[in-house]
Order: sequence, then structure tokens, then C-alpha cells
Amino acid sequence: MRLLLTILLLSCLHLSAQTEQERDSLTSEKLDEVVITGQLNPQSVSKSVVEVKVISRKDIERQAGNTLADVLNTTLNLNITPNTSTGKSGVSLFGLDSQYFKVLIDNVPIINEEGVGNNTDLTLINLDDIERIEIVEGAMGVQYGSNAVSGIINIITKKSSRNDWEITAYSQEETIGDEYEWFDKGRHIQSLKVGHNFNDNIYGNVIYTRNDFGGFYNEKQGENYEANDGLRGHEWLPKLQQNAKGLVSYKKNNINIFYRFDYLNERIEKYAENVDLNENPATGTTNPSALDEIYRNNRFYHHLNGTGTIFNKIGYNVSVSYQKQTKDLERYTYRIRNQEKVNLEEGEYQSRSAFFSRGTFSNIINTTTANLQLGYELTNEKGSGSSLAIVIGPESDEINQELNNYDFFAASEIQLTEQFSLRPGFRASFSNLFDTQFIGSLSAKQTLGEDWELRAILGSANRTPNYNELYTFFVDVNHNVQGNPDLNPEKGVSAFLHLKKKSSFSEGVFRLKNKLSFNYLNLKDRIELIVVNQNPLAYQYNNIDSFKAIGVFSENEIYYENFKGQIGASFQGVSKVLDSRTQRNDDYLFNLQLNSNLSYTAPKWQTTFSLFYKFIGEQQQFVEQTNEAGNQEYVTGKTDAYSWMDATINKSFFDGAFTTTLGCRNLFDVTQVNTTAVEGGTHNGPPAQIPLGYGRSYFLKLTYNLSF
Amino acid sequence: MKFYKSILCFAIATLALVSCSDDESSTVSSNPFVVAFENLSTNLSEIETSENIPLVYSETTTEEGSITVLIEATNAVYGTDFITNPAVINNNLVVPISLGENGTTIEFKKLNPALDETVEIKFIIIATDYSNAVIQGNSTFTLNSTASLGRGFAPEVGGPNQPNQVYIDLSSEEQISVQRDAWDLGFYGGSEFKVGINSSIYMAVAQLESTNIDAVTEADVASIKDQVAVGTFDPTNEAYIDNPDGDISKTAISTINATESDNNVYLVNLGYEVGVETPAPGSVAVAGESRGWKKIRVLRQNDGYLLQYANIDDAIHQELFISKDANYNFTFFSFDTETTLLIEPKAEKWDINFTVFTNILEGAGSYGFSDGVLHNRKGGVIAYSVNTEDIAYDDFQLENIENSNFEQDQRTIGSSWRNVINDDKVLVDNIYYIIKDPNGNNYKLKFTALLDDSGARGFPEFKYKLL
Repeated sequence: MRLLLTILLLSCLHLSAQTEQERDSLTSEKLDEVVITGQLNPQSVSKSVVEVKVISRKDIERQAGNTLADVLNTTLNLNITPNTSTGKSGVSLFGLDSQYFKVLIDNVPIINEEGVGNNTDLTLINLDDIERIEIVEGAMGVQYGSNAVSGIINIITKKSSRNDWEITAYSQEETIGDEYEWFDKGRHIQSLKVGHNFNDNIYGNVIYTRNDFGGFYNEKQGENYEANDGLRGHEWLPKLQQNAKGLVSYKKNNINIFYRFDYLNERIEKYAENVDLNENPATGTTNPSALDEIYRNNRFYHHLNGTGTIFNKIGYNVSVSYQKQTKDLERYTYRIRNQEKVNLEEGEYQSRSAFFSRGTFSNIINTTTANLQLGYELTNEKGSGSSLAIVIGPESDEINQELNNYDFFAASEIQLTEQFSLRPGFRASFSNLFDTQFIGSLSAKQTLGEDWELRAILGSANRTPNYNELYTFFVDVNHNVQGNPDLNPEKGVSAFLHLKKKSSFSEGVFRLKNKLSFNYLNLKDRIELIVVNQNPLAYQYNNIDSFKAIGVFSENEIYYENFKGQIGASFQGVSKVLDSRTQRNDDYLFNLQLNSNLSYTAPKWQTTFSLFYKFIGEQQQFVEQTNEAGNQEYVTGKTDAYSWMDATINKSFFDGAFTTTLGCRNLFDVTQVNTTAVEGGTHNGPPAQIPLGYGRSYFLKLTYNLSF
Repeated sequence: MKFYKSILCFAIATLALVSCSDDESSTVSSNPFVVAFENLSTNLSEIETSENIPLVYSETTTEEGSITVLIEATNAVYGTDFITNPAVINNNLVVPISLGENGTTIEFKKLNPALDETVEIKFIIIATDYSNAVIQGNSTFTLNSTASLGRGFAPEVGGPNQPNQVYIDLSSEEQISVQRDAWDLGFYGGSEFKVGINSSIYMAVAQLESTNIDAVTEADVASIKDQVAVGTFDPTNEAYIDNPDGDISKTAISTINATESDNNVYLVNLGYEVGVETPAPGSVAVAGESRGWKKIRVLRQNDGYLLQYANIDDAIHQELFISKDANYNFTFFSFDTETTLLIEPKAEKWDINFTVFTNILEGAGSYGFSDGVLHNRKGGVIAYSVNTEDIAYDDFQLENIENSNFEQDQRTIGSSWRNVINDDKVLVDNIYYIIKDPNGNNYKLKFTALLDDSGARGFPEFKYKLL
């Protein structure tokens, strides 16, 4: 691929001779973006009944975000949860993990080896062809189906260009903490994007990105280290991602068709901490070896979409998508001194494929006061997990599951008065594994005068049980832990109230947008591992617990000349009703979050200074512990507060042909926080720290833009 | 033109970033080449006419060379009492090193069959002609009449199903391997009248009210069957197993009483067959199919035992007389063969036993353990563990022995030499053991492997040395 990149770069040289500049203005700020998430027809944020947050292309660029994990660190309410032992990064929102959160690209859920849309590894979502990111908090099951419980992210890709040719190439060099070397350490990103309008109707683009994350060593010594003192390997696993994407779109009259392709290859290196010295007692020599693992992810994504109108009235939007992600595992014994791999074994670790189709038909009824949208969603999902990924009986090699969902939904928007609109929605979901499920939503929007908007949103969504919950089988003489194939989906309901005010002073020079929101989320039939038999002791997963989240948050934006600021605060409480435990405490435990994103543009220098900040207050969780008297007791465990800050300087040269972004991530140098809020396992004590980051790191990104 | 230049700069910068090779940062040492004797000694009296003395290389040879060995004989004369191949010239013999080999041998031929215990013949490696060669490890080999001086050992536990119990005699370097489920009951050969059960297949027994074995039916035992098992997480289930410390007075079956009517019927859970599944690397699958249930009653007869046994619902029982043999800890009986069997070596001919065993977890009752190493408590072996931070293994000498530290508990080694709680199954690196056999030989013993090369369990290795 390096060769390909080189060739493509060289071919740019020829094109550049006829350069003619036409650049988008970098400084103008759209006040009212158009959004599509949860809408009957694309419309502006202010007209939308659903509350949609937008992260724009410019925001992404100011933060030099390459993957979704890079840009969500300072978003209010959303927490990024990195897993250093798998190399994945998930999302936690309103106290619920990434199983409850759905990531879509152009309205289509993106696959990963553990889910369709949910359980997404944010580091696998490359942002190089993204126009904007739309975020909706709260259950969105009617529009987006199962697992959209705590919220969704809908990534909107770029599908057109004003220029005949658009070529963007960039190279980004990043330290990992204070670690950096040309190859083995640090993060190295190269990307090339070429977009072209073939004629008035056809646009296409191709992108290649290479993202080489060298891993975080900290005290550790990497692969070629022969002592058995716990220092071999990496604190954060090194990984190399290569991503190729392409898009062709056709636009004529009122027909829009696009096909988008995305291929991702990821290689994660997991070098074992434990070194087997292989002492030869006779010769007194050693031959250190380690059991190493290489994980390879391959993801294919195809998406064909058509939008338009039929009968001069009905707006259709139909997507057909096939996606597959396979995670393979290569295990081998690494003879450290000879740097030689022996006993190599390769096999599939986990995989999932899905055929997905979603269609919406708007304006079925379309009067000035009412609009009806009908839609369907079809998912044929096949998944498998090997015995290395899921705990199953030794006689089974793998778990295979097919999940077919056939969903129908209807949404209507009723404009009762000029100020008041209502948006009821309904979905029926038929599947081969679970009982038919019905979910509903109801949203209302009231405008109060010119500047005030009030929205009330009721939503619902279910979470499908995962493979561990369904199929775990760990039964031996000492243990009996079993999955439960009869589990039902967990049922979630959310309610949000948003009050928004827009203000403008000094003829629009100074503008304010303020929002105050209240949220409530309830989850029933939560799945938990419980004791189903005391003697002999046996565990099984069951639908038993419930979960509530309640909170208030405020997000405020301020615009003054070349200054743009955003400041937010959130106070969230979580209550867990653990019917699975004999002892429990379902009191609400609260957490405070603050965030602020500031940017100032100096037009004369074509330079933007940005600051991204988030504070996460002390987090609490009830944990069961054995006290000094030897009795089990319920105590409040705490995770320390921490702050996250990124700062960047973005400067354009030569009328925007070159852009450099210089920045510092994690200014507060956070690596881990102390916690007493995690329970230990049956055999081992609780961890005392949660890894969060790899320390203060610096980056430099050089972008070359060519368009004519 | 300005643009052309800028693009060129960019292209060059990018090319520079993507075209070189990897940084090389490694912290490994290079291997010396070592030739050493596989073991430290052999008992001269056990050699009939000739014996091959094995030499091992630290790596497969990639060149040719030679080893020079010095012979020091006490009370024996080369050419008269013994000869070797290659032959000794001027007290030295030279063994060639061939290409692509992992070891070689020196042939020792005993010419005088009457060599007594005052004879000692030492083989000492004094030079190795090979690149980067170092003399270390077992550089001296002794032929004499004393106990083994030590060696490396790989007991045949048999992999992740751990099918075997392996009895090892350190002083004679002998191992006897027996399939775990070959026996069910052990009848004690000592002065007491005791019956033990096979803890390596997770057996359990419960005393019943009845003293009439034929009267016991399924209905009498149905309610307690769930409890009479290992791993139920009920602390009271300790009553159903022999105490794992190996004390013969703490067996689950009460002492067999001389008064016939005092001996109750017992419900016997026969535990599990040896597992046959292949578990994930690093895990074990020791327990297979359940072996079912029996009822038994044991009586004294003629200074031996009378075993009565039957299936639970049978109204007629079988009987077998089992005599005591004081040379052995136990006389073993199997329900599969319905005969007595020889399982353990003679009581004084084994020191440690590699076996799956039933342990007790504080507060959770009986719990099945893999990778167990039990010392021969009943045969008079004692042991204790030493932390390498206190004295390194290589530094431990006879005078370092603390006699008060010796323990009887047969689990002194137990499973303390490995840690399998986390996903990574690891050898405990900082522990070794001092073992005293009934003849007063003191050995230091350290484990060197838990897994095989590809990470499978059930392939232990250890090394030991006479102090």
C-alpha cells in the first residue's frame, strides 16, 4: 500500500500544474445545520422535533481527529472507555456501555465482530470522508431499531463537491505520551483522498488512510524482551489500521443514488507479559519464549442508497447494505532470542455479517398540518464466536447464530398550530429468536415566540442479549455458569425535555444559544448473571434487574466576531435495582461533568486556536465487599475525578492549499484514575486503577489541499 | 510554480515517512553453547555390563566440534575395572560433536562386576571445542553407590486432561505412572484399619444410617446425592472427602471397627472419568463423564478388610477379602475390575505424586484442583517451601535447612507452584521446595515448566538436587 500511496502522490504532481484556486471559506459559521438523523425529511436543527447535536467537519479538523475515538473525548455526557487489553474503545452514555449505543454511517448501522451498530469500536471508524457527525441522546428504537437505547451517532459522509477535482493528502505524526520514534513508537497517519466530478451528474471519491499506532509502552519493553518480570509487551496494544473507501454518486432531476464502499484492515499485536524461560536444568541455559497473539480485523462495507420522489409527492429513501467483519486470531510461541515464531495456529476468532435494508417513504400523507412516514428495516445477521472468544463447553468449537429482524415503523409529524408540532412513532419488530416487540415514541415541539423552543421527547428501544448471555457454558466439577437461550431483550424507555433559547445582540455580532435539558432513562428486564441453585451452586443469565438514569444538563454556545465558545454542564444520577443480589442499594449516585470547547480565529494569519476541555467528576458505584469481620457488605466505591484537555493551532498557508495543525492532546497528562468502584472477580481482587489515556501527547498534521 | 514546489516537498516528506524499515530495539542476550550431562549421577550397582551416559546440548548443533572429559576414578582402574567408548587416553576422553544433533553419549562398560560402594568414577567436562562455548550446568557426572544427585525431570502427567498420577522416587530417579481412574478405594496397610477414596477423580462418600447394605435403596439416598459431591460450594461437604492434608486419621470413612455392627453402609459417589475433551490452551479438562454411584460396607476380617459392595438398588451385594500389606501405604481396589490392584510403588519407593486432587477452599468446601503435587506423608516424607527472595535456589545448601520448617501436610507443594487464576496460566517463579525422604536424603526441588511449548497445561517439569 505504501507503493500505491507513492504513485498516487506522484500523479498529483502532474495535476497540480493547472491549479486554480477555489476554496470554501474557513471562517463562516453555519448557525443552523441541516440534519437527517431521526427526520422525516432532511431539515434544519431548529425545525427538527428531535434534538440533534452536530460535530462539524471543521470541529473534527480543529481536533485533528482521525477516528471517532479522537473527537468524542470532550463531548458532554459521552464518555470514552478504552480497553487496553483488547485495543478497543467503547462509549458510555448515561451509565450504559456501548452495547446500548448505536453507531450508524449514513443511517445504516456499521458492523463489528460483536454487533450490528452497537458494541462499536470507535477506533475503527475513520473520519476522513465525513461531512458531519450527528448525535442524538435517548432511545431511538422507532427510527433505528434494537440497541439504540442510550443514544446514537449517525455519521454523514461527504457525497458531493463543488470542484471538478479535489485532492487532499495529509500526514500526521503524533507522540504517544512522550514516546515517539520513526516507526515502532508513536502514531503515524498518512492519508490521500481524491474526489472528482465526472460530469454534472456523477461524483466519485476514493480515500486511503494508514493509521499506525505504535502502542503505549510506559514501563514495558515491547516484543523482544526476555525477562519474566512482567515488563514484556505493551500497556496499550500496538495496532495498524488501513482503510480504503470509495464513493460514487449519481444525481439527476429528483433521483439521487450513491454507492459507498469501505474496507478496513486492522492488525493488533498482543505480546504476552508472561515469559516462559524454558530452563534446561542440565545445561543451565534458558530459551525464553512467550505465547503471543496477533488479531486481524477485516471489515467490508457496501452501501447502495437511492433517494427521490415518486408520484411527485412521496419521498423515498432506500438503503441496501451488506457488511462483514471477521476477526482472526494468530497464536504462536515466540522464541524471543531467535525472534522466531513456532507452533503457529490461525483461526477465526469472531465474525459477523449482515444484510441490511432500510427504506422510508415520507409524505404518504402530506398536508400543511400532517406528514406520515412509513418505513421498513430488515436485518439478516449471521454471527459466530470461537471458543477462544466466548466461554463455551470444550466439545463445541464455536457458536453460530442467525438473527433475522423484520421491522416496520411509522412516524408522523403533525403541525397542530404554528407553534406546536407533535411527532408520534411506532415500530413493530418480528424476529426469529425473540417474541414480536412493539415500541413507540412521542415527541412534541413548541416554539415560544421567536427565540424559545421547547421539546419533549419520549422514546423506547430494546437491547438484544449478547452471545455471552445466551451461550456461555462453563460447567466443570467446581463451576456451573450457563447462558440462557430463553432470554428476552432488555426494554428501555427514555424521556427528554429540552428548552432552548437563541439570543442576538448588537445586530448579530454577539449571539447566544442556550439549552437546558432534563433526561430520564429506564431499563427493565436487565440481564444479569444470578445464582439459580444454591446447592450445588449454579449461575445463569436472567432478565432480572432494572436501571434508571436521571439528570439535568445544559449546553450553551456563544459567538462573538471570530470567537466561538461552547460550555456545558451535566449532572447525572444512576440507580441500579439489583434484584440479582441479596444485598443491594438502589439509591441514585450522581456524577458531574463539565465541558467547554473554545476557538478563536485570527483571519489575518489564517490561524485558529482551539481548546477542548472536559471535567468528569467523581463517579460512584455500589460494590459488594467483604469487610473486616468477614461479612459481605455494600459500600459506595468511588472513581476519582479527572479532566481532559486538548489544545490545537490550525494554520492555513497559500490560500488554504496547505493546512498545518499543531496540537497537544491530554494536557493534564492523565494515564489512569484510582478507583474503588469495581468489584473483584470470583478468584481475583478488584483493580485499583482504570486506564484512561497514555499521557500528554503532541501531534503535527500537515494537509495539502488541491482543488480546481 | 510555487505550488509545484510545495507539492514536491510534501511528497518527499511523505515518502520519507513510509519507505524505511522498522526501528530495531531489542533487549535480548545471545545464547552460549553448553554441553552438559543430562543427569548428575547413576548408581553403579544398577549397571549390569554397560550404560550410555547421555550428554545434552543447549541447542541443535550447527557446526562440528568436540568435548574433552576428564575421568577421575577412585578405587577403580581404567582398562581393568571399566572402559569407555570413546576410550580414555591420559585420563581424558574426547567426544566428537556432529552436525544437527541435540546430544551425544559416552558408553561406560563395567569389566569388574564386583565394584563395591567405595568406588566412585567422575566424568568432568573440561573443554568444549565449539563457537561461543561455555562450561556450566551439569558439568560433572558421578558413578557411585549413593542416592541420585539430581537432574531435570518431566513427569508424564499427560497433558490438559491430566490422565495420570505420577509417583516419583527422587533418589532412584524412577517414575511410575498410573491412570487416575484405575482405582477407587485404598485399604490402609498400616496399623489402623482405614479406607481412603480416590481424590484425583473427585470421589465423595457419605455415611448412611443403615448397617445392612442390602436394605439400602435409591429412595434412601436420593435426597443427599446432590450434596455428596465435590465443588458444591457448601462448606459442610468437607465431611464427604478424605482430609486433603493426607492424615490417615481424617478419612471420610470412619475407622473400620472390630465390632461388625458398628460399621455403617456408605453411599459412594465414584466421581468422574478422566476427561477426553481438548480444552482451550492453558485450561484443563480433567473431569469427564460421571462414573456413577455404589454402596459399600467395610468390615474387619483376619487382620484384613472385608469389602461388601453393590449398586444402590441391588438387594444382593458382592464381597471381597482384602489383606493388609505393610510394604505399601494402601492396597487398592477398583469397582471396574472388582479386584485389588498395585497402584502406588512401595511406601519407601516414592516421594512425590503428580496428581489431580480434591482440596478444601476455606468457606466453600471441597474444590477440585489440577496440577497437584502431593508428597508421601504416609511413607514418612516431609517438605517445606522456600522463597527465592530469602535464599536463591542455587545458593541453598544443606546447612540452610531449617528442620522446624518441615511440614507433614501432603499439600505443602500442592498447587502452590503455579498460578492459574487469571487468563495467563503461570509458573510461580519465586518458590522452591526442600524435601526430606525417609532415608534422610534432602533434596531441593524447583519447578521449571507448567505448560508445554504451545501453551498446553499438564506438561510440568522440575529440577532437583541432592543437598
